Amino acid sequence: MTFIHVALLGMLIVCALAVSLTRNLLTSLIVYMAYSLIMAVIWMFLESPDLAITEAAVGAGITSVLFFVTLKKIHAIKGDSDEQAQK
Amino acid sequence: MSKRRSDWESRPQARFRKWYKEGFLALDNEIIDHLTRTTELPENIEDRLIAQQEEMTSRQHERTLALERLDQYNMLAWARTRGRKAISRLYVILALALGAMMIFFLLETVALMPRFGDPATPGANIVSERYITKGLEETGATNIVAGMILDYRAFDTLGESTVLFIAASAVLILLRIDRNKDGSPVQELIAAESDDRHYEPRNDRILQGSAMILTPIIFLYGIYIILNGHLSPGGGFSGGAIISAGLILYLDAFGFDKAGRFFTYKTFTWVSFFSLSFYALAKAYSFYCGANNLPSGIPLGTPGAILSGGLIMPLNIAVGMVVACTMYIFYALFRKGGL
Amino acid sequence: MLDWLRFILTTGFLISGLIILLTSVIGLYKFDYVLNRMHAAAMGDTLGILFCLIGLTISAPDIWVALKLLLIIAFLWFASPVSSHLIARLEVTINPHWQQLPPKENAGEEEAP
Repeated sequence: MTFIHVALLGMLIVCALAVSLTRNLLTSLIVYMAYSLIMAVIWMFLESPDLAITEAAVGAGITSVLFFVTLKKIHAIKGDSDEQAQK
Repeated sequence: MSKRRSDWESRPQARFRKWYKEGFLALDNEIIDHLTRTTELPENIEDRLIAQQEEMTSRQHERTLALERLDQYNMLAWARTRGRKAISRLYVILALALGAMMIFFLLETVALMPRFGDPATPGANIVSERYITKGLEETGATNIVAGMILDYRAFDTLGESTVLFIAASAVLILLRIDRNKDGSPVQELIAAESDDRHYEPRNDRILQGSAMILTPIIFLYGIYIILNGHLSPGGGFSGGAIISAGLILYLDAFGFDKAGRFFTYKTFTWVSFFSLSFYALAKAYSFYCGANNLPSGIPLGTPGAILSGGLIMPLNIAVGMVVACTMYIFYALFRKGGL
Repeated sequence: MLDWLRFILTTGFLISGLIILLTSVIGLYKFDYVLNRMHAAAMGDTLGILFCLIGLTISAPDIWVALKLLLIIAFLWFASPVSSHLIARLEVTINPHWQQLPPKENAGEEEAP
């Protein structure tokens, strides 16, 4: 249990809390991508590179892309210009 | 009397006689007369009485109909107010009961399981020790994980691939927008496409140029991971995900028209069907007997060579193809509702 | 001697790359307008990753690992600028006033309401 393990686990917990606590869906999705990436590094440290590759490709890549498409379809992504127009 | 007469006139024999006597014109006239005739009161008293009677019965009939409708309406109203409340309450109760049951069974299962990290369980010593010591000579795969998931526990992997295929089919059922019979797009599809491309740069030259260079490299890397799955970390799932990422990049850069040239519903169907059926047939005997590590007839080869490990490499290819097609079709259906 | 040289080069490249990445992160939070933020993120990201990976390439134990790292550098130098170009083009497409509003005025407007 070196320093980097502890730091990674702490970041993992912070990301997991932030995913559920953020209001903006886009923000929570990007934090979820970061969570997947940290998880991939942790798998690498736990000596299971198979899972690390799969996590990086599926968790951080394709699942997030599918979530992005879904958010776009339900018009949940709102940029700054939209918010200004609403004001 | 009058009834019988009108009845008689409309019978086929009478019409035939009329036609025989007067030709087609009479029948036509009769039809025109019937269409243009306004309701006129019958002249003699008997007919008038009958008409009154008919009116009375029809009124009564209408009244009963209205009463029935009122009853129905009341029932609907009941269903609309109290019934809905009762049903929603029932749903809540059922959901709570189901959740409590699930929690109970899961906790029961967890309580029956051996403790985490207990050294006395067979899963922690015998099984893993056998996998580590004999895995290489029994499966011929340098990567023990590939030997485990595609030889000892091949049934699990078949289940996972089938789950992916079922998920793709479910998404296809839910999100697909059909075209017209002559192949022209439906209004809904056009709306979905315009909504999809609303904020997106179309035909970006820079993206297309970089995709032209990057897509083959990504495909090559995914194929390398799949083919090298029994030698180094990787395998069907990760390689398939990487190939599907390349497909998604191509789709984003060049649009649905160009991607539809090589990937259609037919491609998805046949690739998934052949991969899954190949997997099932190749391992069917082991599944049926319940025994693992039966001799497959293919020589295991020298460990470390690319053509080694018996059935592991073909099974990796099958799993990878299923995963790549599934992920790509997820993306295409999520975006546009079609390929 | 060679080991010491390798160690010094590796640490130098890694630390400079990390400093560049830190600068880009600070810029990402400091700026207000989308194009400015994207500029900071994309430039710092590309250069910082280049320096970090060069440092790792120097310290690689094997020639094949070093070659793989060079391939990763090539891939990232393809992918990262293209993605930032797409973000910039998206902003230009959906915001019709991106030329009339200089970044400072835009930032002031954002703070005003």
